[in-house]
Amino acid sequence: RRTGDALRAFHAALRSSPGNAKSQAMKEQAQGTMLKVLTSFKSSEIEQAVNSLDRNGVDLLMKYIYKGFEKPTENSSAILLQWHEKALAAGGLGSIVRVLTARKTV
Amino acid sequence: MAYHSFLLEPISCHAWNKDRTQIALCPNNHEVHIYRKDGAKWSKVHELKEHNGQVTGIDWAPESNRLVTCGTDRNAYVWTLKGNVWKPTLVILRINRAARCVKWSPKENKFAVGSGSRLISICYFEQENDWWVCKHIKKPIRSTVLSLDWHPNNVLLAAGSCDFKCRIFSAYIKEVEERPSPTPWGSKMPFGELMFESSSSCGWVHSICFSASGARVAWVSHDSTLCLADANKKMGVASLCTETLPLLAVTFITENSLVAAGHDCYPMLFTYEESQGALTFGGKLDVPKQSSQRGLTARERFQNLDKKASSDTANATLDTLHKNSIRRVLGRRGGVGGQISVLAGGKANCSQFCTTGMDGGMSIWDVK
Repeated sequence: RRTGDALRAFHAALRSSPGNAKSQAMKEQAQGTMLKVLTSFKSSEIEQAVNSLDRNGVDLLMKYIYKGFEKPTENSSAILLQWHEKALAAGGLGSIVRVLTARKTV
Repeated sequence: MAYHSFLLEPISCHAWNKDRTQIALCPNNHEVHIYRKDGAKWSKVHELKEHNGQVTGIDWAPESNRLVTCGTDRNAYVWTLKGNVWKPTLVILRINRAARCVKWSPKENKFAVGSGSRLISICYFEQENDWWVCKHIKKPIRSTVLSLDWHPNNVLLAAGSCDFKCRIFSAYIKEVEERPSPTPWGSKMPFGELMFESSSSCGWVHSICFSASGARVAWVSHDSTLCLADANKKMGVASLCTETLPLLAVTFITENSLVAAGHDCYPMLFTYEESQGALTFGGKLDVPKQSSQRGLTARERFQNLDKKASSDTANATLDTLHKNSIRRVLGRRGGVGGQISVLAGGKANCSQFCTTGMDGGMSIWDVK
């Protein structure tokens, strides 16, 4: 498995995030896809992936991280906490505030 | 930069007199205390007791030297100094919720009060009846008005609300003023006219500010964003998602730069680049003495929770000057409206500004 694949999948998942989708099914599918992508990363690859994002990307990632926390699977929380650490370093507390205040959820 | 600890209680709101020798503040109760500068010390010289609820807003008119206060008791008072006593005059605001903010207009012939009644009371003095009357601006405000700022033309008023919007209204009162000339925000300004409404924020708008020229308006909201609308760019809005906790107060210090502060206890500088229509973060204005400790990561915090079954708060003390959230940022007004001031200042070229915090302290910051 090459690092490049995971990174491409990551950006694709963020790009295709259903922004205004009212369909809960669509949202859940996107959440599932994103969780698969995030858990497929090696710990050492996470920082590079986060640094490839702009401010809006970091905010969107943080939303998915918290959505992932909401519905944990067997090993998801551990990897999500690593993503959280890097996303926090990039986006600051402001990115977490915007998870709480956002009207459009993922 | 100087810090003075007034109280153990939070300072709810404050206002300076014209020459900055006196400060009026509310010590988190129903009163207003006025302190005067005596050399390096501050001495309390007056206690204004009239409100039946917490005082939520104070403004000090520089020319007429009148104070206006508003509070959770749904009232406002205009205070006039007679000899050495401040005499209050009640102003009926006709609201059924707490008043939250108050501002004198630049010509000091009107003042505006924002409230939980989801409207703005524009108050002016009616000579014939010798009392203050008010008119209401209601539509389309949907929630509490938290902050107000007047345009230099004495007519336009910016309002920030808990319905996430920044709006600019006309507060034109024909009884006290001439019809205003056109501005970049529009030409027709009947009372209550909505000249601008934002749509970008997802949080309560805590503070709002016109630039010195009035062509720009900036606001901070609870989703940790700073926004700026530029009338010279067709009211286009630039916004910046900050990395900080929500900002609670903002002011212009030049036509292109702003200072804001909030729950993170230190003021921050921001600049607006007109050609690109972009806001950028310009740095913090208070650097802690020791290198900032990062605090625990979420993972470490959970691990500790797991081990100790208790929350493990970071034991770094707060190194910044203010130990609690900063509630107000007040630009020193020196050169607005043709006033000539010995110290350079005003929203056009601020060289010094003041912050008060929930830690009961007041700081004066120099801008270099």
